[in-house]
Amino acid sequence: MIVRKLCVGQSRQLLALNRRAPAYTRFLSTETPVDTAAPTLPKESIAPAENPLHEVVQASRQSAQVNPRQQWGELEKRRHKFNNLGTSVQESYDPEDIIRNPPKPSDVTLEMLLAAGTHLGHSTSRWNPQNSRYIFGIREGVHIISLDVTAAYLRRAAKVVEEVAARGGIILFAGTRKGQKRAVVRAAELAKGYHIFERWIPGSLTNGQQILGHCATKVVNAMDQELPEFQADLADRGSVKPDLVVVLNPLENVVLLHECGLNNVPTIGIVDTDADPTRVTYPIPANDDTLRGTCLIAGILGRAGEAGQKRRLEMAAQGKTAYEPITARQLRLDPLTGQAPPGSELEKGKQG
Amino acid sequence: MGKINLTALRVRQTALNQFASGKINKLPQWVDVVGEIPPSETLIRNRPPQHQLVRQRMKTVTGSSNPQVVFEVQEKRRKSKKSSRLFQPLELKYEEDELRQNFFRDHPWELARPRVLLESSGKDHENYDWSRLKQPGKRLDGESVVQRQLWLLNNVPDMTKSSAYDIARREFYRLRLQEDIERRVAAEEAQATGANFGSSYLEIGMDLENQQYEKWKAWARTEAQVFEQRTAALSGAPEVALEQQGQEESFTEQPGSALA
Repeated sequence: MIVRKLCVGQSRQLLALNRRAPAYTRFLSTETPVDTAAPTLPKESIAPAENPLHEVVQASRQSAQVNPRQQWGELEKRRHKFNNLGTSVQESYDPEDIIRNPPKPSDVTLEMLLAAGTHLGHSTSRWNPQNSRYIFGIREGVHIISLDVTAAYLRRAAKVVEEVAARGGIILFAGTRKGQKRAVVRAAELAKGYHIFERWIPGSLTNGQQILGHCATKVVNAMDQELPEFQADLADRGSVKPDLVVVLNPLENVVLLHECGLNNVPTIGIVDTDADPTRVTYPIPANDDTLRGTCLIAGILGRAGEAGQKRRLEMAAQGKTAYEPITARQLRLDPLTGQAPPGSELEKGKQG
Repeated sequence: MGKINLTALRVRQTALNQFASGKINKLPQWVDVVGEIPPSETLIRNRPPQHQLVRQRMKTVTGSSNPQVVFEVQEKRRKSKKSSRLFQPLELKYEEDELRQNFFRDHPWELARPRVLLESSGKDHENYDWSRLKQPGKRLDGESVVQRQLWLLNNVPDMTKSSAYDIARREFYRLRLQEDIERRVAAEEAQATGANFGSSYLEIGMDLENQQYEKWKAWARTEAQVFEQRTAALSGAPEVALEQQGQEESFTEQPGSALA
């Protein structure tokens, strides 16, 4: 049997709205319907001082005259009065969280990888037997990638990214699948690297002078401050080549990986069960079809790059570098002949 | 080039060779990084993990009062594996698989209910305690029954599969009934406080049926008139036939005149 105290339970709406309340014919579910008089508004049935809603309701009735600031105040007051009603969501999943705040390599857990779905491989018929050492088993006709192997390889790759970043290397993040754009950009932003989210233009490495020749380059010091006085010396230099390439979808970027091989650039790639693990230097066996998984891996590598950059800048502030810096003389020399350009100060200095 | 291309794995060796031969005049920055953190070995086949189906049971042992936990391992097949299949991954099997299959065979419509596949942290299982069927943060579904049955099999002494199934199922039915009642009461409460859910499926169906009846009525009326006209003309009462014809004309004109 359900007994309802309508006037008390629904008093907020009833008091706030200046309308006739609907007639409630059924109070008890077991009773036969009986005509009851429509309840009138219990205007001053409760003394204003006792009724906690009184001032709120009074305020809302006069809202036509008040200015927006007062209305906002009233809204806040109402919210403060009623905010302890209802439920609050304790823990919810936000897909943006992985892009905004990716975890550090040391925070990687198997549960995290599992929740991101990195363990799901491809159908058993599509496997590349070279991946057999990363595969845990078969489930429902699908290869399951071993999560502990994924975590180990991911940490190793993160370490490489961190070390290359600490030595001032140029890191290129490439993810050309639909939806990987933001993760790739975010990872490059964290690692102070570069990104590709559209097609890799074939020849950007092997024929870089033609394809990237018009792009701007600059000379920076150890603190990443630009040195404009060397701008003229960059004119006859070739396009910049990356020191590390991170590919989120190696299957679609075979040309990029081939060019990296020709130019002797180390690569990191997410290798699914149908991909060839020998295409990349550091494979990360994981599912490359789940956006959440690829975003997670890109974010972790980005965080590793961030740590490396931080370390490099801290060392530079103390006047040290983890790499052998290029000297001003080396910059001034002709990159092809290795000789000082004719008529320059360097040549005179050598003669003198 | 052979079938296997190891260029990517040998970047460091290539860089060192190029430097030694004078092709490049400076070693890249990453050479010592790749030397310190070498790429892992690839193309080496290991024996894949050998999965075994293990069953946990509580059994009363004669002579001792306390039941003991017994682990049963599924027997391996005698026949040795073909050498070509030696390095292939094995099928993952768990005890729940059979229970799950049985449950959904008996309750196929449980598969039609919506299910949450997303996991936020991957640690949902830590909050579950299968000594009871209802779990916080998990919708009651077939998987609950399977897990509850497995718990009963693993933890209750001398439990058989069918009795565990019956216990879990009975709890499940009871909770489902309770959910139904809760839903009905909630709808009733909402309606009593002014909610309007629109007309029910039955009412919509009745409305559609009524529309068809009305159409049929109009059609039947004209048919009846045509029939009467024909009989009147045949019986040789021309004045009746004329009168009816006039009526029919006025009847057919009605929609047109209403439009005009």
